[in-house]
Amino acid sequence: MKKPETLRGTGTVFRYTLAQHYKTMSVRIFLIVLFVLAIASFPIIKAVSGDKQEVTETSVTRLYLRNETPFALTADDIHSDSRYKDVELTPTEADDTALAKLLNEEESAAAAVIAPAENGMGFTLNTYFGEQSKIGYDDASTLADVLEDGLHEAMLRSLNVTAEQEVTVRCRAMAQVATVTDYLRGTSVETDTGTHAMINLVYSYIVLILSALSMSYIFQLCMEEKVSKLVESLLVSVSPTALLIGKILAASCMIFLGIGIDAIGLVISYQIAYSGSGTGILAMIFEKFMGLSISGLHLSIGMLLLAVLCILLAYAICAAFSGIVGSCCSKTEDTQQASLAVVMFIMIGYLAASLTPAAESDAVNIFCALFPLTSIFTALPNFICGKIGLPVFALALLIQAVTAFLLARLAGAVYRMMLLYRGNVPKPRELFRMLRENRASAKGKEDAHEG
Amino acid sequence: MMGFTVTDLHKKYGDKVVVDHLSFRMDQPGVYALLGTNGAGKTTSIRMILNMLSRDSGTVEWNGGPLTLDTCNVGYLAEERGLYPKNTLMDQLMYFASLRGVPRADAKKRISYWAERLEATEYLFPPAVNGRKPKPKKADQLSKGNQQKIQLMLALLSDPELIILDEPLSGLDPVNTDLFKSIIHEEIEKGKYLIMSSHQMATIEEFCTDLTILNRSKTVLQGNLAEIKKSYGRINLFIKTEQDIKPQIEAAGVKILSSVGFSYQCRVTGDEQANALLKTLVADGITLVAFELREPSLHEIFVEKVGDAHEEA
Repeated sequence: MKKPETLRGTGTVFRYTLAQHYKTMSVRIFLIVLFVLAIASFPIIKAVSGDKQEVTETSVTRLYLRNETPFALTADDIHSDSRYKDVELTPTEADDTALAKLLNEEESAAAAVIAPAENGMGFTLNTYFGEQSKIGYDDASTLADVLEDGLHEAMLRSLNVTAEQEVTVRCRAMAQVATVTDYLRGTSVETDTGTHAMINLVYSYIVLILSALSMSYIFQLCMEEKVSKLVESLLVSVSPTALLIGKILAASCMIFLGIGIDAIGLVISYQIAYSGSGTGILAMIFEKFMGLSISGLHLSIGMLLLAVLCILLAYAICAAFSGIVGSCCSKTEDTQQASLAVVMFIMIGYLAASLTPAAESDAVNIFCALFPLTSIFTALPNFICGKIGLPVFALALLIQAVTAFLLARLAGAVYRMMLLYRGNVPKPRELFRMLRENRASAKGKEDAHEG
Repeated sequence: MMGFTVTDLHKKYGDKVVVDHLSFRMDQPGVYALLGTNGAGKTTSIRMILNMLSRDSGTVEWNGGPLTLDTCNVGYLAEERGLYPKNTLMDQLMYFASLRGVPRADAKKRISYWAERLEATEYLFPPAVNGRKPKPKKADQLSKGNQQKIQLMLALLSDPELIILDEPLSGLDPVNTDLFKSIIHEEIEKGKYLIMSSHQMATIEEFCTDLTILNRSKTVLQGNLAEIKKSYGRINLFIKTEQDIKPQIEAAGVKILSSVGFSYQCRVTGDEQANALLKTLVADGITLVAFELREPSLHEIFVEKVGDAHEEA
């Protein structure tokens, strides 16, 4: 019976590879820069996009209101917000020049002009404060939001809408589409094509970036011993499989540690920029940068863990493929040709996955979720958006796991076979012929020992 | 059964046979030499022995069982050798020690011992300069010869039972050659099994007890070196005189291989022919500076065997 190849030394290879990586000064500088950039990101975005600070206390003591609409705003509409409960509302018909004069004289006064929009569709609401005023942009902007809500209340009052009717009017329906099984289970939520496309795009992009980042690390690690001519000395101490696994694990750790540092930096950054906003970081990213409502996606801790699992599986498949191609390289020049092969492999999946939502077809969604190359990009977004059910998603994960395992085994075999190979990168057909010959030789050896 | 046995090792790439049914054994510690021309299959055989290359047939046994990473502590100095250029020497040595299961504290002691023995202390434990701790040395800061010392340390760090040295002395200066030779002698004295492959016949002859000569993948000569030499007999005759003795040599039917001045390298059929020539020279009143009858050197045997094989091919 064939003995499994020893994995002794995997941990040592992993620790050594990782330690040497982080001993490099440029790597440490890169991580520090990455962390600093992550910390700076939210405050910079906030500053550039002009996001307002959460106002807890206002500097406004008087509000001049020129209301040119037929809807009467009262002081109660403003005082309903506790921050503005002490603001004195002064209705006025003064023109802009007169208002400007008033505002320049009173440093804690603001003015608001509500007028019908020029195109006849809705209204404009402008809030002003003086040049020397104590009132800041954030304060004025928050006041504008309060006035906007007040105007809406005034409109409802003009129609004699009761509080109950108002609740009814404000109530929105959430659209859901599901198979009858999922409907009865009450778990499925289907989102629109735009949302699906956006989630697909963002998730695919994460997988793409991860794969591309790991590719160069894995290439470098696969070739390291060949280039330094250390491979033969190492192979009397550790098996090729242990060597490869240790290296790929180290590469994974390098990548995920980088991402972890980035994520910690982003959380800190978010706390600096938006602490007390009452919105979670994920909701902020989804709603602000993707224009999606997180509440409609039924995201939970379980789903996030599932997302991590999916990313790990996708990473494992791409890393194993990079390992196969990287093992065929003997010198640095070979990596150009090899990286093209890996990039093409990943890009085909990425592009196909990006186009999936546009097809709006269940068959396409299911096929893309099950075919390994596209599955790594589409299975999770399709599931989150309700395009595939739990059984299909579970099957997709199983197929991904099996693919990752088979590719990892193949990577081990290729790495073992190509460690002593010196020459041009073999073409796939040639590689498989060499593998077959190698396997036949190994079988011969096994038979000889059994004999 | 103790010892090391290689049986029927065979490898071909496509239709080309690179190792043709090689077999040999070492029943007791010592040095076994694998000799051959370039491309004869020495390194391929070593790689198959160490399971780095798959073999089409054949077995390699250590103490009666298959030779694997788990069954035998092997030290290997490969022909194609190197180090991680940008990693510190100490890190690399500790890494190899850890892979071989040498405890950390033990590894440090062994590194210290070998650093001193191989006269590499200044690279592994560089002295402080002006009271400041110097930066640890990296492999690419060392000369080729000094890198080779570190490579030998990597091979011997785990105190291996079986040591395989592929061209161990190539690229070394005379001082370091002697240093390496003395270490090889020490390992032999410690009762280790050594397999050596080299083109330097004089070096091999100094160490080995048994050998295999390979030519174009085939075994052309195998056995105990002393017995092989004995089987050839004392057929090499060196004569140095103060006058021309060519007529006497030719008259005795002795073949002159080469001559410089009055020094002659000759080939005789055996002791009797040599004695007859000596009698003639003495009778003719020739002043003999040197008259040495000896067995052929390993170099001569190698050239003869490989030459014969070339002619047959």
